[in-house]
Amino acid sequence: MAKIVILGAGIAGHVAASHLRRKLPKEHEVVVVSPNSNYQWIPSNIWVGIGRMKPKDILFPLAPLYAKKHIDFKQAKAVSFHPEGDQQEAKPYVVAEYVAGNEKGTTEKVTYDYLINATGPKLNFEATEGLSPGKNKAHSVCTYIHADEAWNALSDLIQQMKQGKKAKILIGTGHAKSTCQGAAFEYILNVEQELRRHKVRDMAKITWISNEYHLGDFGMDGMLLSYGSNIMKSSEMVGMVFEDRGISWILGAGVHKVEDGLAHYENLEGEQKQESFDFAMLIPSFSGHGFKAYDKMGNDITDRLFRGFMIVDADYTPKPYEEWSVQDWPETYQNPSYPNIFAPGIAFAPPHSISKPRKSKNGTDITPAPPRTGMPSGITAKLVADNIIEMIKHSDNELHHKGSMGNMGAACIASAGFGMTKGSGISITTFPIVPDFKKYPDTHGRKLGKTFGAIGLAGHWLKLALHYAFLYKAKMKPFWWLIPE
Amino acid sequence: MTRRISKYKRFVMMNPTIQFFKFIYLSIKVLVIVAGGHGGTRNA
Repeated sequence: MAKIVILGAGIAGHVAASHLRRKLPKEHEVVVVSPNSNYQWIPSNIWVGIGRMKPKDILFPLAPLYAKKHIDFKQAKAVSFHPEGDQQEAKPYVVAEYVAGNEKGTTEKVTYDYLINATGPKLNFEATEGLSPGKNKAHSVCTYIHADEAWNALSDLIQQMKQGKKAKILIGTGHAKSTCQGAAFEYILNVEQELRRHKVRDMAKITWISNEYHLGDFGMDGMLLSYGSNIMKSSEMVGMVFEDRGISWILGAGVHKVEDGLAHYENLEGEQKQESFDFAMLIPSFSGHGFKAYDKMGNDITDRLFRGFMIVDADYTPKPYEEWSVQDWPETYQNPSYPNIFAPGIAFAPPHSISKPRKSKNGTDITPAPPRTGMPSGITAKLVADNIIEMIKHSDNELHHKGSMGNMGAACIASAGFGMTKGSGISITTFPIVPDFKKYPDTHGRKLGKTFGAIGLAGHWLKLALHYAFLYKAKMKPFWWLIPE
Repeated sequence: MTRRISKYKRFVMMNPTIQFFKFIYLSIKVLVIVAGGHGGTRNA
């Protein structure tokens, strides 16, 4: 009998738990430890942020589902890792602190045979002075709670605009090394459409602010994509959409401080600038959770497990951009020191960024961090689950399931406005996620045809269809496993 | 605001009948790319 403990119940954690439970006989224990009581379908947060969906539309409580599916659920947060156990406990364990119920505040040693760290990122608002959801007129859509608060503030502003107020709206990244530009991109287009729907578009100046060097970088070094019968750069496609929607942009901006209605940023020229706003949505930087790890004797071994995020089978050797390759990226998400620990999704430490790193003239790193959200999270979690299943069933320690982001496709169906007849979406797929310049030297490291873009109403329907399909899948309803990650 | 998308292109982008077929096409294409497999890179 094996016990698999999964830390986190986001996309990666929940995918791993559901596949493990479906494929493993009941004598094996599947335990989920997460401080969140709800599962949320994060890609739809942007629709909560414009008031077109309610939080209840994008979430469901985990405890009843897990009870029904025989998955043990502890509403607790991981505190420390003990991969060798300790003097009293022979088995490896994590210390978890309960965050709700009668046990709130108490800690427990949760032992395991296999550990999946799917804790995702810490939303590191503290890294930008004055950036906090709902403070200084700046908001976030990173959680459904943040998104709902953002909508309340935007709704108030729309009412003021209807009374004649001219407003400045600033949307983008809130730190020099933020990622998730895609979410901010979706949000700015949805906000723009909502202002038109409320007939106040003329009252607003909308500005995109980003740490990207080019528009459409998305933390993936941009893309060369098929667009109809043309081949177009993602920068050209995003530029076309922004110009058509009357959205101006500031690029290469490392926001480092937010005051009441004022964002301070440094650009690649090393200039210190400010941008004022009446409403802002700025994505914070992501960081690891600051977990500590200890060996059997209680010595600190954090650096064997973490470098911010969790160390996996990537090549972390520092090297210049020109020497980066897809082989640097992990394939199995297994920790090299402790083979029974895995970190799929955002929890693994990437070897480096995907976008070309750039510094300002003052030496400040202004480079998007690599995205690992959404689909890559689901795919990597499933392959980790499949490898653990094989290790348990066949006592085979060789990992057969591999999925490098350098050999994996991804789809980004970006909403550009909500509505069954007035909506729009920008559908982008990319293969591979990390460009392989050796394999595809003439097409910026990606396979054309599999890397394409399309704009239109169908994109909105597709995003909406994915919303319902993935919530169906997450609720583990009949034949849920037929829906791919 | 600078018009970058022509009236004809906009018509195509927003016409529900055309977009219905585009939706079917996109769904299949995305499914093929996403479910089309993944793997390692080091022994390729």
